[in-house]
Amino acid sequence: MTLLIKYTLIYGIVLMLVALGGCFSEHSGVINIALEGIMVVGAMAGLLVLVMLPSSIVAFWRVFLSIASAALAGLLYSALLAFASINLKADQTIGGTALNVLATAIALVLVKRYNNGLGGTQSPKLSFANGDFLFTIGPITVNVFLFIGLILLVVAAIVLYRTRFGLRLMACGEHPQAADSVGINVYKMRWAGVLISGFLGGIGGLAYIVPAAQIWNFEVGVSGMGFLALAVMIFGQWKPGRIFLAAMFFAVFKALANIYDSTFLSALNLTKEIYNMMPFLASMIILAFTSKKSRAPKAEGAPYDKGMR
Amino acid sequence: MKKKNTSPLLERTKGGLTSVIAALICIVIGLIFGLVFLFILDAEHAWKEGFVPIIQAGFRNVGNETLKKVGMNWATVGQEIVEAAPLIMTGLSVAFAFKTGLFNIGAAGQYTVGAFGGLFCAIVLHLPWWACLLVATLFGALWGAIPGLFKAYLNINEVITSIMFNWIGLYAVNTLIYNRGNGVMYNLKQSQTYALKDVSPRSLIPSKLFGWDMYGTFKYGSISIAIFLAILVAVVILVILNKTTFGYELKACGHNASAAKYAGINEKRSIVLAMVIAGALAGFGAGLYYLAGGAQWDPQNSTALPSAGFDGISVALLASLNPVGCIFSGLFISHLSTGGAQMTQIYFPSEIADVVSGIIIYLCAFSSLFKGKILSLLSRPAKAKEKATEQTAKEKEGNEQ
Amino acid sequence: MKLADYVIEMLNITKIFPGIKANDNITLQLKKGEIHALLGENGAGKSTLMSVLFGLYQPEEGCIKKNGEVVEIRNPNDANALNIGMVHQHFKLVECFSVLDNIILGVEPNKMGFLQKADARKKVLELSERYGLKVDPDAIVEDISVGMQQRTEILKMLYRENEILIFDEPTAVLTPQEIDELMQIMKNLAAEGKSILFISHKLAEIMAVADRCTVLRKGKYIGTVNTKDTTVEELSAMMVGRQVNFKVDKKPSEPGEVVLDVQHVTVPSKIHKNNAVKDVSFQVRRGEIVCLAGIEGNGQTQFVHALTGLDNLSAGTITLCGKDITKASIRNRSKAGMSHIPEDRHKHGLVLDYSLEQNMVLQRYWEPQFQRSGFIKFDAVREYSDRLIEQYDVRSGQGSVTIARSMSGGNQQKAIVAREIDKDPELLIAVQPTRGLDVGAIEYIHQQIVAVRDAGKAVLLVSLELDEVMNLSDRILVMYEGEIVGQFDPKTVTVEELGLYMAGAKRMEV
Repeated sequence: MTLLIKYTLIYGIVLMLVALGGCFSEHSGVINIALEGIMVVGAMAGLLVLVMLPSSIVAFWRVFLSIASAALAGLLYSALLAFASINLKADQTIGGTALNVLATAIALVLVKRYNNGLGGTQSPKLSFANGDFLFTIGPITVNVFLFIGLILLVVAAIVLYRTRFGLRLMACGEHPQAADSVGINVYKMRWAGVLISGFLGGIGGLAYIVPAAQIWNFEVGVSGMGFLALAVMIFGQWKPGRIFLAAMFFAVFKALANIYDSTFLSALNLTKEIYNMMPFLASMIILAFTSKKSRAPKAEGAPYDKGMR
Repeated sequence: MKKKNTSPLLERTKGGLTSVIAALICIVIGLIFGLVFLFILDAEHAWKEGFVPIIQAGFRNVGNETLKKVGMNWATVGQEIVEAAPLIMTGLSVAFAFKTGLFNIGAAGQYTVGAFGGLFCAIVLHLPWWACLLVATLFGALWGAIPGLFKAYLNINEVITSIMFNWIGLYAVNTLIYNRGNGVMYNLKQSQTYALKDVSPRSLIPSKLFGWDMYGTFKYGSISIAIFLAILVAVVILVILNKTTFGYELKACGHNASAAKYAGINEKRSIVLAMVIAGALAGFGAGLYYLAGGAQWDPQNSTALPSAGFDGISVALLASLNPVGCIFSGLFISHLSTGGAQMTQIYFPSEIADVVSGIIIYLCAFSSLFKGKILSLLSRPAKAKEKATEQTAKEKEGNEQ
Repeated sequence: MKLADYVIEMLNITKIFPGIKANDNITLQLKKGEIHALLGENGAGKSTLMSVLFGLYQPEEGCIKKNGEVVEIRNPNDANALNIGMVHQHFKLVECFSVLDNIILGVEPNKMGFLQKADARKKVLELSERYGLKVDPDAIVEDISVGMQQRTEILKMLYRENEILIFDEPTAVLTPQEIDELMQIMKNLAAEGKSILFISHKLAEIMAVADRCTVLRKGKYIGTVNTKDTTVEELSAMMVGRQVNFKVDKKPSEPGEVVLDVQHVTVPSKIHKNNAVKDVSFQVRRGEIVCLAGIEGNGQTQFVHALTGLDNLSAGTITLCGKDITKASIRNRSKAGMSHIPEDRHKHGLVLDYSLEQNMVLQRYWEPQFQRSGFIKFDAVREYSDRLIEQYDVRSGQGSVTIARSMSGGNQQKAIVAREIDKDPELLIAVQPTRGLDVGAIEYIHQQIVAVRDAGKAVLLVSLELDEVMNLSDRILVMYEGEIVGQFDPKTVTVEELGLYMAGAKRMEV
């Protein structure tokens, strides 16, 4: 049971962080299907920094620097989406897909390159020590991302609902012409929304890998977590509080895949893949039932053109 | 003005030419970025061990004297051809859905499920190759139908459904094949599915075409008539889209779903059918690859979706959604990834080819931006005249908006 | 008169769009505290001129002065800074925001970026009290009436302390009561010293509320008059350039057997819980044009959608030539003899990216005439399209192969009319067939519709234009809030009488 809670918290926070990222991007009016790729890039950057830092560095800085570089890498990578979809008015879905393809390729090239430098191997795997990220509270091992995630959740909710920035951001995703007519720079707000999603997505990528493993094969990317986060965002109706709940709900399924064989579930004799499949299946079933009352931002997906009124 | 003053054929060629130029621009920019990337990674070897092999790709060995002696110098070209067939098909799959206004990001899942169907019929049922291919197609069609149904009847965006069912398909196929090592199709010794040539040779797509033994020419193991089947299908798709009432209906839905509905076209049916066909094309592509012995499925290591599905997006976009164009762009993408493997791997990982291909899709996403520019360059002389007619037309209307 | 008597002057404004001079040397001068109407037909250049004033477009020539000083307005921010505000024809409101949030958007009171809504709420309530603009600041915009949405837009301007208020066709979407309220509000605002520009093509409203009126026609300045010194007739003549007479030459109608029989049709609304169409019953016979008249948004669109199969109805039956088509598909309705000139030619009428010939067979591509075992007979399509183009005088750059998007609105509409009439239908449903078209095209389309009637077919015309209703129809049905509230003979009823029914002031049992 403690194991279930442990993994649920790990995956729940990841899904929440990334879904919050998607939430900012979509509230500004840009569909961010590149979250998967952003996670990969964030994870890759964070891990490379982690393994390259000299061992003399104190634990705090090691953690801080790797998380900061994951966030920064995600942010920079998301700028590619912002540029294509906001300035060049590209199809957001295609642009996002391209970035997903690109992310895995770049990560593999860089990781292999790094390993090559170490010992001439062409391995796509990175091994790392994650001890600095973990703490124990009573019987449960938790990781630093739990705290970061909860803080960011509160911040996200406040920013969206209590600040001028949040009000303007949401106006751009709902009715950019209206926002423009009262002097809000739609392009700027959308850039902000996408960059925030990159920031959160980058952290999410690292948060997915570091606490639960000590070696990671970048050939699998982040195995669909970014896409799952999109489902979490939809299920959470683009609202931070609900996104948190939805993320935890999906995380339970995902966690089961990791621990099923050590619980009563092993009697069911299902394979790991079936548990891996469950969150995706669950998201489809839920979407099928909730699709009618979707509250997606109205203008999402449509490039905003100042000239077209 | 009632008389046609411009030949429609000329207009069409101009449109086609624009698309080709736009594609070439995407490719060139993509390659330049790739080159820059190579230089950043290792400037010393970037050109000779990196860029040149990417460009030469399969043709790098054609002039190799050692290989010539054993007749193997065309083998990597054969490999390019083998890998191109599934790419052409997934490209067609994406392009076909696009024509109906749907983004089939699910080609990867349809491909996966199709591969399973084909391999099952081959390894377990020992059916002849054409039957296996048919089943692969049907499995792909089934997997394509799901997002179509979700879209048509629940109004859930096909992109999100396709993505979810990509993963569902992947996990399902892996668990069915592996089944903790007990799967009937799973060869524990090789930790992948049984090789068709060992367990069911008649399920292999033949390599002889009208007496021409393709294997004899290329000396590449899994060379087969698959590429010709892919080309044939591309032509069929072209005909369906441009010459039939069915294609007319699908394209009408893609351009303007409301108008299609007004015209009495059943747009729900069109959506589902378009996705079924798109899925079938992807499944067929998987059949062409796995039934030619191009690879065996490794359920333990295949924890990421097959890249053929996503490469299909590049193929389709690069071809400007033209089915025949997909043949060429499919061959190109295959050339590129073969090129990636031709680089000296101690310096450069083969994924650099994927980086280039990713950049190309990224560029394709806004290629319409420079398409307009190219078109205006191409039609500069005719422009003055057009403007004049446009002006009279607009003045007549005098509409403020 | 001293220059400073004018708060805003737009002098010699010229604005050119590719292929069209939308504003040609137009001058407009607005006095402080006056209500100044800007009158003109669709396409006269009113909206363009206002967009120039609001900073949405830059003029090629001319200048704008405020209080006698030349100003540059490059974007809506500049306009705001000059205290110019605008209520757009299509409201610029974020539907899922509250009224208050919409009002403060862009000028949010805040401390370090955190919203301080309490003060804003107080100010909004004060303003709403002072000008008689009833709103609930906490209501969500998508839940409130169109009238309250408009008041929200007005409050947006007042909250920003705008002095010059532009109203772009503000009455088009309102009920008569709401129009009266708005007129009163505008007078209050003017009395408080605000200067108002009021864009309209409704003469009665202008006479009722405006002090002066500037008239535009086809992008040109025609003149400015005091409403006290003019008449509706004079304004009308200035607006259209001649005494227009939309009289259509037609013989008296000889109604024959019933073609369309609609009984108790009820259609649910997609926006609110009420029904959009309530228990509507009527018949259309051969050889007559029946017109469904009414103010926009009274259920006509929903009724036509249910009639043509684009949407479902919740109760009632529809019979066409004796055949029950209540549940028939769109294709089967078409086969049964129904033709439909849709209200929105870009949304429903045409596939804009298809060529003209492909659009010409949009309803018929499946007929054996145009296909053999699923393959389109391109020669037959071309031949047919060429004939329609010739016969109905559809003009386009490259004939049959022209992409529909590149054609002018009038010719797009002609193509649709040609396609629908040439199907030789039993019943022609024409919804706003002449909207946004020039006089020549309107006359042409009217003649075609009469010709259909004279060929012994039934015609159901749905129109918002009273001129069209009076001149074209043989029988008028008035629709108000989803119900038929009156039936008239155009030869005996007056426009004023019709207006009372359309506004819901009177009704009869039909």
